[in-house]
Amino acid sequence: MLTEHERERYARQLLLFGEEGQDRLKGAKVFIAGAGGLGCPIALYLAVAGVGEIRIADRDTVERTNLNRQVLHRENDVGELKVRSAEAKLREANPDIHIKAFATTIDETNVRDLVGDADLIVDAMDNFPTRYLLNREALRSGVPLIHGAIRGFDGQATTIIPGRTACLECIFPEAPPAEVFPVVGTTPGVIGLIQANEAIKYLLGKDDLLAGRLLLWDGLATTLETYTVERRLDCPACSPGVRP
Amino acid sequence: MKVRVRAFARFREVLGSDLSIDLPDGAVMATALSALREIAGDESGIIFDEDGALRAHVILMRNGKRVKRSDLDTLVLADGDEVAIFPPVAGG
Repeated sequence: MLTEHERERYARQLLLFGEEGQDRLKGAKVFIAGAGGLGCPIALYLAVAGVGEIRIADRDTVERTNLNRQVLHRENDVGELKVRSAEAKLREANPDIHIKAFATTIDETNVRDLVGDADLIVDAMDNFPTRYLLNREALRSGVPLIHGAIRGFDGQATTIIPGRTACLECIFPEAPPAEVFPVVGTTPGVIGLIQANEAIKYLLGKDDLLAGRLLLWDGLATTLETYTVERRLDCPACSPGVRP
Repeated sequence: MKVRVRAFARFREVLGSDLSIDLPDGAVMATALSALREIAGDESGIIFDEDGALRAHVILMRNGKRVKRSDLDTLVLADGDEVAIFPPVAGG
């Protein structure tokens, strides 16, 4: 049930998906892996949309070089843990929801607890090894994973429904080489909001997700394309021999 | 025959975003890749390794479907096919 205050706060989206939809968002828990370029816009938009619990993990502290794109962090947050900085801004943006911040490196030993009873995992990481770990946890737990990644003016996103769609290792069997990637803030802005939009749609039970489709954003040419991606029968993470 | 090639992310910088390559009828995917390697010239190293093989992380698609490494020498292309080639991006 929504309070009168909530009905007012969400009035414009209640026109879109009604009180039932808003109740679904209120009852939802989302785990966001990363509070950087992607994590900031994802968390902010899910917070103001009224997602009831946002769990966010990041091990880093805010550096000045982050500020061109990590829009929840400010000049006076430099040196502060990213999750603390993000938590403060998210509470300010929407005091009616719960924020759980985890200042930790996501690894094999804690990924299960971090995801906990979340309805959804959102990938806002900056490296493939951790993404593969999130993918394996999604497959193990059956919790969908919304992938996004960026570099420069380019980005990609896809929604992984365990057992139904291609998983991250089906689509990207090999990680690209690690690097200090160039980036302008609008790129994680675009991709992060596509991920947040996917999250809201999934939580509302909408069809036509980015499931089984890989979206490629080219910010220089201003083109956005989607390609069908299929499960690999020999995928080491999700093939029938490994998992149902 | 003509095959359309769409390159994304860093590959666009060396191949252009949308190009058309002329190939002999019956050409296989490996032939198209050799043509792309020539077009990329000195910068082909971000797409191909020293032996001319596609780098492991590169994604290759034909008409919207992923092409397996094991099919490069046998997959016959047709006039009007669209090949997409891109590296996954990894930042956040």
